[in-house]
Amino acid sequence: MLTYVSKRLGQSLLTIFLTVSTVFVLIRMAPGDPAYALAGPLASTGDLEKIRISMGLNEPLLTQYGIFLKDLGAGNIGKSYSFQAPALEVVMSRLPNTIFLAVLAILLAIVVAIPLGVWMAKRADTKRELGVNVLTIAGQSMPDFWIGIMLLTLFAVVFPIFPSSGFTSWSGVVLPVTTVAILQIALVSRMVRREVGTNMAAPYLTVARARGTGEQKLTWAYAMRNSSIPILTTLGTRFAGMLNGVVVVEVVFNWPGLGSLVVRALETRDYPLIQATVLVTSVLAVGVQLLIDLCYPLLDPRVRLGKVSVA
Amino acid sequence: MSTVNEIPLAAESMKRPTAVTKRLLRRSSAARRERSAKVKIVLGAFLTAVVVLPIILAQVLPLPDVDAQAITSRFLPPFSPGHLFGTDQLGRDILSRVLHGGQVSLTIGVLAVVISGLVGVVLGALAGFFGGWVDAVVSRLIEAQLSLPLLMMLLLVVALFGPSIPVITFVIAIAQWPEPARLTRSLVLVEREKPYVQAAKVLGLPQITTLVKHVIPNVINQVIVVVLLLLATAVLMESALSFLGAGPQRPFATWGRIISDGQDFITTSWWIVTLPGAVIAILVVGVNLLADGLRDRVRRRKGAAS
Repeated sequence: MLTYVSKRLGQSLLTIFLTVSTVFVLIRMAPGDPAYALAGPLASTGDLEKIRISMGLNEPLLTQYGIFLKDLGAGNIGKSYSFQAPALEVVMSRLPNTIFLAVLAILLAIVVAIPLGVWMAKRADTKRELGVNVLTIAGQSMPDFWIGIMLLTLFAVVFPIFPSSGFTSWSGVVLPVTTVAILQIALVSRMVRREVGTNMAAPYLTVARARGTGEQKLTWAYAMRNSSIPILTTLGTRFAGMLNGVVVVEVVFNWPGLGSLVVRALETRDYPLIQATVLVTSVLAVGVQLLIDLCYPLLDPRVRLGKVSVA
Repeated sequence: MSTVNEIPLAAESMKRPTAVTKRLLRRSSAARRERSAKVKIVLGAFLTAVVVLPIILAQVLPLPDVDAQAITSRFLPPFSPGHLFGTDQLGRDILSRVLHGGQVSLTIGVLAVVISGLVGVVLGALAGFFGGWVDAVVSRLIEAQLSLPLLMMLLLVVALFGPSIPVITFVIAIAQWPEPARLTRSLVLVEREKPYVQAAKVLGLPQITTLVKHVIPNVINQVIVVVLLLLATAVLMESALSFLGAGPQRPFATWGRIISDGQDFITTSWWIVTLPGAVIAILVVGVNLLADGLRDRVRRRKGAAS
């Protein structure tokens, strides 16, 4: 148990370390002066010189890396020059909105996708299932920003049921959450179908069925419970991918989260801001995954006893 | 000898009454799976071809010039004479823009997928075959990358290095290599334990030769199918990058930018956004269906091994 926890913790720290290092290398490798990149187009030569010294650009690369890490540790990623405020603060002020959208979407996705996936597993390869299967493939194939624009046009312009943008009321939440959830429903339900399908065909289930266990119990208490670990793992890794989707969808709906922030940062070449977004979202995704991984022992006693390793 | 015996046997079995009717055979789960796979492959190939062929032939087809603007024919609806998909806010032909944008997207997608496929197969195969520290390094890298929301990192790279086609291709390739690597690694791990690898060792074949000439050919089919799935993701990723403003810059028409530019006119001219998006969706659905159907098939051929 302890080895499992420490292993997972080490892995998460390694991931964060790799992210931080990649950002460092990218900034140093980029054409042009990193001081210029950090200070922005409006900086004077004096500012540039100050930044150069504070970044230690005349020091050896390893020392520079040390300074970079120390700055990060102090939460100093640089000043966003389109907001004239520390980049980290700007990102943190937007973060709750993004998390809110992501959490609602994943909840909706789970509520819809698990029954859907179980149904698909039980009716595998019938005509109706094939139809739904093709639909789920379509669901994961449409660009999410396009789904967003389509829903927006349909339900906010043509049939004005929901407000078109913003975060003002609960009805404004419906369309963005649905947009993000569509892709997740498609992905998760296909995964549930695969996992539950494998378990439904497993010998232990045949034995249970032969002993007269009811179909509902077979499905939910046996097949679904045994599928829950791989499903949870994938949900954990999926969270990172979902953040990507959330960011894009936010732009469509003018959601005051990280998405619109990052697009603005991109337009103004606000490197510190993008950098802060990269780091914050990475820490968030890695943290969520760690949390999920630490839940395994509760679901699977084999993990608790260190008998299986969770990939 | 054996043929002499078999012929009457076969004839006899045809006469013998059997409980297994053709109808039952058709309804068996194996036959159903086969049919599902076939439907997916045919439908997928059809949808992919519907989009890809016109894109390849865009230069040959009688289309208006991509950038030809005409103030007099702005916002023409679809099926207008000479403009099948209508025109946009500057009077440019949308079909022409979609097809030329498709050339950019497909070039980026195919190149990116080839690079990520190669990198993934090489690293995955080395990790699976040799184990030890190679495996440790590659596996940690895969895990690290899979748990990150890469989009922001990609945006940072594009912001720093400029949104040129090579940069975007590279960025998408880097985003995608873990998937084929992970799969190759897990397949090679199984393959490595098979007797023929031992035989090769006994025969004195160098390990790397065994890997390249014998192990990889046995797993490559399954990997290629997954790489095909990645092509779908690559196209989506490129369109998302363009939509966010990090795609190839003008003069290239890209799918994401056609949509983001047309967004402002959605209430009056729905087709500017709807049609390009539908084209992306059809292409990606087609590729996904094709890959999904092929995967079902390849997996079955391989039997219980996977």
